[in-house]
Amino acid sequence: MNELIAPPLPFDMKPRAREAVRDLKLQQFVGSATHLKDIHRGGIFDRDFGHDYDALRTVARDTKQHALDHLDELLEQFIANARASGATVHAATTGAEACEIALRIARAHGALSCVKSKSMVTEEIGLLPAFEAAGIKTLETDLGEFILQIDGDAPSHIVTPMIHKDRVATAQSFVRELGARYTEDPTELTMIAREHMRGLYRAADIGVSGANFLLADEGAAVICTNEGNFDLSVGGPPVHIVFVGIEKLIRGARDLAPFLKLLARSGTAQPLTVYTSFVRGPRRAGEHGGPKELHFVLVDAGRVGVLASEKRDLLRCIRCGACLNACPVYRKVGGHSYGSMYAGPIGAVLTPELERAQAGGGAGLANYADLPRASSLCGACYEVCPVKIDIPKFLLHDRARLRERGLSPKSEGAMLRLWRWLAERPMLFRLAIGAARLHARLLGQKDGSRAWLRAAPGPGAGWTQSRDLGMPTGERFRDWFATHAAKRDTKRGAR
Amino acid sequence: MRVALFTTCLAEALAPRALKAAVLVLEHCGVAPEVPLAQTCCGQPLLSNGLPNDGAKLAQRMCEIFAPYDAVVTPSGSCCSVVREKYAGLFAEGSRERANANVLAAKTFEFIEFLETQLKIDPTTLKPKDCSANARCATLTCHDACHLRGLHRHGCTAPFLRSAGCGTVRDLPDMSQCCGFGGMFSTQFPEVSSALGDEKLAHFTSTGAAVLVASDTGCAAHLAGLAHRKGVAIRVISPAEAIAESLGLLAREVTSANASTEAAMHPKNGTEVG
Repeated sequence: MNELIAPPLPFDMKPRAREAVRDLKLQQFVGSATHLKDIHRGGIFDRDFGHDYDALRTVARDTKQHALDHLDELLEQFIANARASGATVHAATTGAEACEIALRIARAHGALSCVKSKSMVTEEIGLLPAFEAAGIKTLETDLGEFILQIDGDAPSHIVTPMIHKDRVATAQSFVRELGARYTEDPTELTMIAREHMRGLYRAADIGVSGANFLLADEGAAVICTNEGNFDLSVGGPPVHIVFVGIEKLIRGARDLAPFLKLLARSGTAQPLTVYTSFVRGPRRAGEHGGPKELHFVLVDAGRVGVLASEKRDLLRCIRCGACLNACPVYRKVGGHSYGSMYAGPIGAVLTPELERAQAGGGAGLANYADLPRASSLCGACYEVCPVKIDIPKFLLHDRARLRERGLSPKSEGAMLRLWRWLAERPMLFRLAIGAARLHARLLGQKDGSRAWLRAAPGPGAGWTQSRDLGMPTGERFRDWFATHAAKRDTKRGAR
Repeated sequence: MRVALFTTCLAEALAPRALKAAVLVLEHCGVAPEVPLAQTCCGQPLLSNGLPNDGAKLAQRMCEIFAPYDAVVTPSGSCCSVVREKYAGLFAEGSRERANANVLAAKTFEFIEFLETQLKIDPTTLKPKDCSANARCATLTCHDACHLRGLHRHGCTAPFLRSAGCGTVRDLPDMSQCCGFGGMFSTQFPEVSSALGDEKLAHFTSTGAAVLVASDTGCAAHLAGLAHRKGVAIRVISPAEAIAESLGLLAREVTSANASTEAAMHPKNGTEVG
């Protein structure tokens, strides 16, 4: 798998983050795209829902939570109904198992080529490398994913995977890999990709996709795309496999409305994705399109573990990407800094949890100890989440687990505990603040009412790496207030 | 009504003028705040960095210290949000501690919020009578602390100061994006934190304002520190200081955009008038 999203563990985020901050192109592309998407997201919700936006999110939250609370029943229903419609349903506990199931299906048909529609869960389980290793030539048909594929790059955003690249890079890749003529025109670039893909759709032995929702009562899947590539990948090849995380289950189409209203608006500020496709069962007698065989691979890969944990709310996520667009840290460090296919705020809490649930024990956080700390806790993610996942709460939860397991810097913990000890002793606490002021007054550069330190000692060193520390040199507030209050009371007494 | 000023450790250490201004403005509004001497830190650094049990001890202290008061006012948006949103969850449901935390949460307010929603001050009544003095007043722009989001007070400072006639209040582009402070995040990921701060400073510069009003001491120290390192002309003050200056309760500082960078960056500490 690509090291960008499946790095060696334990993962160290800091070098990637430092590099990203210095990468001017990344700053420009990711910064402007996320800002625009976030502004448009706010705009379309204001326009279409106004004050009802919050109520809509509450409905979506409760609907998805209800489904998760009844996941066992919904799974049974889905399996029974999908089978009744003629589809084959498989269950995979691990990513490796899911790949093995797919390879078995492919081998049974002697498949040599595959067209794949965008799917996060297939990134998670490493389907593409598994297919390639088995000699099954696989084409990413989502335009963004296709460009990343021919560049040997990896997605850096849940919804807009090539947010870190621009059309100049795309033009160059198309010249290099497809022998196309150089053009930066988005329409022409799209046409080049389209020409390249059309024939491959028809020739492919197998089609693969993810799903946005599973409808338990119909045994059907709902897939939202903007390019129609899913419809081509399911319409052409004789066999289609839908990979889907079990958390995508909802009761049925009756529960779909709030999610469809929220998903595209939250992700790309569209009222709906261009295509909202429903798949139920393989091709029936008399039908002209559709696969002869339809398989659903229901993927656990840690989800059952998450469901049983305190972080079960995370499974409500509908992968809209709004929290990435709103996150100040994501905007600066980009997706690859998170070392996972799930970047940004949701990735920071979901990645260690999925890993923990699969590997068992405390592995998850030990392997991604930086992720919960890489947040200013500004709350923008929670504010934009269409299913109201309190991401900051889970970041704090993980920070506490890190501390408990000794996975945070020891010196920092000791310093914080010393702080608490001092804070319980007001006299000493004042003395400590006084000492800091004295230090600044003796060593700082005096300047008006402040003494500025360019290099602070101990825990302040991280601060003064890029900022000065200005300590006030004048009267302490408490001294001023004591005099002031005495005057005030005298005045009052005189009245 | 007994009102306590919840000074916060950060403001006592770094922004005494903001506290002074808060006292003077409250008095102008007819409230004489008290300053409980035993208060230290609300526990936010502990709660945000994986030590909820240690934080809970400080939360309990806070509940005891502020028990005698009817209202608790603080110039720090983020410390306010900790008391309001985090304290209760630290204690078991049904416990006495949880009840105390809920009591404190219900009576704790950020400074502008207290003026607006509790004292029901019409900001236009805070307009300075002497308009010639106001003409000298700075061009301001406001950055609200992210933690005001949870209190549904994000974006409320600028309109209030504008109505209160605190100089010319310009809108800060992309105000909703975090300034990058984030408590210990600022030292754990200094490059990311500074990059966000730089973006905020660039937006500030684009407004042409001379003064940035920041509703949290942490944001203020971060942005002022970055600006000082880079030599960017900026004066960062709290909302209370903006009002106190406008009302003439605190001596106005050098704010002219024409003043030398040094003068604009390192103004004289305000002195009380009268």
